[in-house]
Amino acid sequence: MDAYIIKAYRTAVGKAKKGSFRHTRPDDLAVKVIQHIMSEVPDIAPEMVDDVIVGCANPEGEQGLQIGRWVAVQALGITVPGMTVNRYCASGLETISLAVAKIQAGMGHVFLAGGLESMSMIPMTGYKFAPNYNIVANTPEYMASMGITSEMVAKKYEITREQCDAFALRSHQRAAAAIDAGKFKDEIVPVEVTEVFVEGDRRQEKKFTVDTDEGVRRDTSLEALARLRPVFAAKGVTTAGNSSQTSDGASMVLVVSEEIVRRYNLQPIARLVSYAVGGVDPLYMGIGPVAAIPKALKRAGLQLKDIEQVELNEAFAAQSLAVIKEMDLDPEIVNVNGGAIALGHPLGCTGAKLSTQLFNEMRRRGQKYGMVTACVGGGQGIAGIYELL
Amino acid sequence: MGTGIACHLANAGFSCLLLDILPPDLKEGETSPEARNRLAASALKKALKAKPAPLMDPEFASRIEVGNFEDDLPKIADCDWIIEVVVERLDIKQQLMERVEQHRKPGTLVSTNTSGIPIHLIAQNMGEEMRRHFCGTHFFNPPRYLRLLEVIPGPDTLPEVIDFFMTFGDRFLGKQTVLCKDTPAFIANRIGVYMMGVVFQLVEELDLTIEEVDVLTGPLIGRPKTGTFRLADLVGLDVAVKVIGGVQENCPEDEDVQKIKLPAYFQHLLDNKWFGDKTGQGFYKKTDERDERGKRIILALDLKTLEYRPRRKPKLPAVEAAKQIEDLNKRLQFLLKDQSKVGEFMRRSFAALFSYASKRIPEISDTIFGIDDALRAGFAWKQGPFEAWDAIGLETGLDLCSKAGLKVAPWVSEMQDKGAANFYKRESGRKFCYDLPSGKYQEVRSTEGLVILDNYRDQSPVYKNDEIILHDIGDGVLCLEFTSKMNAIGEGILRGLGESIRIAEEGEWQGLVIGNNADNFTVGANLMLIAMLAYEQEFDELNMAVHLFQQTSMRCRYASVPVVIATQGYTFGGGCELLMHCDSAAAAAESYIGLVEVGVGLLPGGGGTKEFALRASKEYGPDGVMIPTLVERFRTIAMGTVATSAYEAYKYGYMERGRDQVVMNTQRNLAKAKKRVLELAPNYVQPQPQQVTVLGRTGLAALYAAVSEMYLGQFISEHDAKIARKIAYVLCGGDLSGTSRVSEQYLLDMEREAFLSLCGEQKTLERIQHMLKTGKPLRN
Repeated sequence: MDAYIIKAYRTAVGKAKKGSFRHTRPDDLAVKVIQHIMSEVPDIAPEMVDDVIVGCANPEGEQGLQIGRWVAVQALGITVPGMTVNRYCASGLETISLAVAKIQAGMGHVFLAGGLESMSMIPMTGYKFAPNYNIVANTPEYMASMGITSEMVAKKYEITREQCDAFALRSHQRAAAAIDAGKFKDEIVPVEVTEVFVEGDRRQEKKFTVDTDEGVRRDTSLEALARLRPVFAAKGVTTAGNSSQTSDGASMVLVVSEEIVRRYNLQPIARLVSYAVGGVDPLYMGIGPVAAIPKALKRAGLQLKDIEQVELNEAFAAQSLAVIKEMDLDPEIVNVNGGAIALGHPLGCTGAKLSTQLFNEMRRRGQKYGMVTACVGGGQGIAGIYELL
Repeated sequence: MGTGIACHLANAGFSCLLLDILPPDLKEGETSPEARNRLAASALKKALKAKPAPLMDPEFASRIEVGNFEDDLPKIADCDWIIEVVVERLDIKQQLMERVEQHRKPGTLVSTNTSGIPIHLIAQNMGEEMRRHFCGTHFFNPPRYLRLLEVIPGPDTLPEVIDFFMTFGDRFLGKQTVLCKDTPAFIANRIGVYMMGVVFQLVEELDLTIEEVDVLTGPLIGRPKTGTFRLADLVGLDVAVKVIGGVQENCPEDEDVQKIKLPAYFQHLLDNKWFGDKTGQGFYKKTDERDERGKRIILALDLKTLEYRPRRKPKLPAVEAAKQIEDLNKRLQFLLKDQSKVGEFMRRSFAALFSYASKRIPEISDTIFGIDDALRAGFAWKQGPFEAWDAIGLETGLDLCSKAGLKVAPWVSEMQDKGAANFYKRESGRKFCYDLPSGKYQEVRSTEGLVILDNYRDQSPVYKNDEIILHDIGDGVLCLEFTSKMNAIGEGILRGLGESIRIAEEGEWQGLVIGNNADNFTVGANLMLIAMLAYEQEFDELNMAVHLFQQTSMRCRYASVPVVIATQGYTFGGGCELLMHCDSAAAAAESYIGLVEVGVGLLPGGGGTKEFALRASKEYGPDGVMIPTLVERFRTIAMGTVATSAYEAYKYGYMERGRDQVVMNTQRNLAKAKKRVLELAPNYVQPQPQQVTVLGRTGLAALYAAVSEMYLGQFISEHDAKIARKIAYVLCGGDLSGTSRVSEQYLLDMEREAFLSLCGEQKTLERIQHMLKTGKPLRN
């Protein structure tokens, strides 16, 4: 039985540590998105949801305790189960593929899938960085930080600092234009935040609504970007300015079976045509999509030229450029509304968030096939091909 | 300067309000405090980036609130001390003081940091109550580092206000406080600048180059390495000429200063506005070119042609010979006897110094020590004029003056007539100074309560070997003084330390202080010794040497009497390891502490690596994740991090709060350590060996990954990575399967093995050799 995506929403993406969601729990964000989705499909009662599949890249601390279950309980009640899935930065896309696969396998009819991350609350490698001793003793480069992998990719694929900065600038410019054109307005679920804090030795409360992505730097320029120092390697190309931002956010989609679509006369947005993951040398993590894209195309029975739009997660400018170069992607159809360098990269949420953005932009452009792809920690790549309906 | 003073008050733990004028470029509509306070705020921001750092810990900046004179002056009503540090113009100072008077509460102390304007003029329009609480407090730039604080009473200042500043400045701000009079340029600048003028003339008369003079007026005679011309560039020629001019104008009766004429070469620089460092050139000029060794080429002014030419290393045989003489006093005596122009320069400049300083008493100071204290602390001289005079002998000094045709103040011969042959004398731990009015020796007020080891040289030491002296510093406390070159720790110190602890334990002693009065506590272990053994591949000997160090550290930790360490200046490597093994430290705030062994290709082998494992172990909570703590400890050693103040040493874990204390006044650290021994002794229980929690493979994997990360990022070399992995191995207790409890000795054995294995590495030997040759670390 086939599966269809009926709804796709996200929160705005907050800047980690200093943004609007710095004190908002990621499960609360996901709950808000689910409640909004459910409000738009009154025929589907909460107890009809077979499972809530939540992606998260660092499921510990505030994101621990199997956060997927607590998203389900808060959003839909105790009878609805929930689980957490981790494929690092691909988690949010992985969960969608799982929902689709489960429906196709006859394991249910109604799934909420997506992801969340609060990088304000949980640092990149979690609180206890404890890799396997044997791996580190024999192949320490497998444990290289994401930044180092960006440098390695830059070196191997001959990506320069100037190219990285230009790519970063373009991301900001496109994102600013998209926000100004109100392109994300309809996909963002506004979240009301109440902050309780101390000022002048008194307990104070502040309420505000967050409905716009916070990462864009409208005042940045090539000169400003060029002034930043490489962070990960002494003579590297990767700076804070041409890397993805650390962020907070959540995004969820509603996936249902063909039967449900028919029974309730629902209007599907899209369907996941194919999905693939692949592995590469962990030291060159950023090139991961190159291992996944051809597989996904083959499974879909499509060719690259059939893909009209691509959301390529901008983990780093260097790795994005290397993927574009290696896959011979048309830069003009990649990240048309900017990417993670400008809009942020809430790890576990990103896959679902990029899917949501892709659906809306494809709709505006009247396109049929689009792709979401990302590099994934540990040396992996993911690609999902959607058909807009 | 105002910001520097505010930073130093913050260093001392006080909160302060830093006010500046409104920005002259303030635009209409800019009404926010951020805009209006931006001058003070940007000065503070700049201070945070300045090197050397005005703050002992960047976090202390939170103790400083910024504001402006227009909006925030009322806030001074809540301040206890108001310091004026505005431009050196009497009318502006007076106007500001008028406004201060409107807002300040009665009883609040007010002072000016002027260096040239008479205090009584600034005070003249003040009300009586304010005048009583007003005086001069003259800091020297940079306020954190230069130790002098001149305290200048105005005509109506209450004596208790002056007493307060003399004590407060000493105890809380860590300054050498000197009581001055309201005379032009006070003490230090008056004499210091006069001497600059003398040297400016001598250089022409004796046909010397500026490089030669800078050598002759540098460390050779116990003065800073900037010498005279480099110092002039640093201070600014315009400033120097202003001070000389000010004194000439305001002291018509000072014949000596009236005689000083600015030489043509000086005028040439002034005419061109080449004021020194701040204008990019003065007597010296830095270029962007580099020589074949990659060193920046610096030009020097040829005083005859007035052209810049490459700087030349002076070749003066007398200087080379004098450099071989370790003892400063003997070196001075030697130089004064020299028959070349070096000797002539010395004789004439010292004669001028002695003559001039003697004639300034009682004009600028009632005491001899006041003048010496001021020059030592304000200009970083090892000896003030009278101390230098004592060093060469009273008669010799008088002789120098008469041969130079210079008069000496009559009180000097009166003193001689009374049978006093020296300005100072030291007796049973105390320092006395000749007192003019009474004609008798009196204890030097500024040294009361201090432990100065020179004052004990007349008594026979409790124990002595070629690298240490064990002093009885009274009240049943012993003090072990290092006497090796640069206080490097060699076998003599280690054996002497073991012996001293034995003496303290077996005799009726309260405990032991480890400390000295040198500029630097120690540069660390004797590298030459390690190098020799390593080159010869004498691993048995090396093993014994490292073992001795470890066991000595452990003796400090587990002695049956308290062992307290007092540090100042460099406290590197082995010095830091000793510090961490003592019961307590009395560290001068200006202590630069660090395990720097990686710089010479080694790891801390005197118990330092073990101690970091132990300290990390104490910080692990019962269910804590531990790894972040371990990583932080690891990083500190692996990067060879040096704390640039004792406060920073708390942050890096070299010192522990509660156990170790910071002493603001460097000169008081030994006294503090002695007091600490006496506090601990009555209830002292010999510590018992402890177990250390180590993380084994789990920790090791995290640290190895961190090393790999630094290596891949090309932040460290392959050899750095190798050393770092060895440090990691010791910190984790090796590749144990899980978290385990191990003994200190187990870790010491691992530490020693790692140390020895690195001694067998060619790259480590290269690093050691480079350090011994150049004094700088090699990255290979």
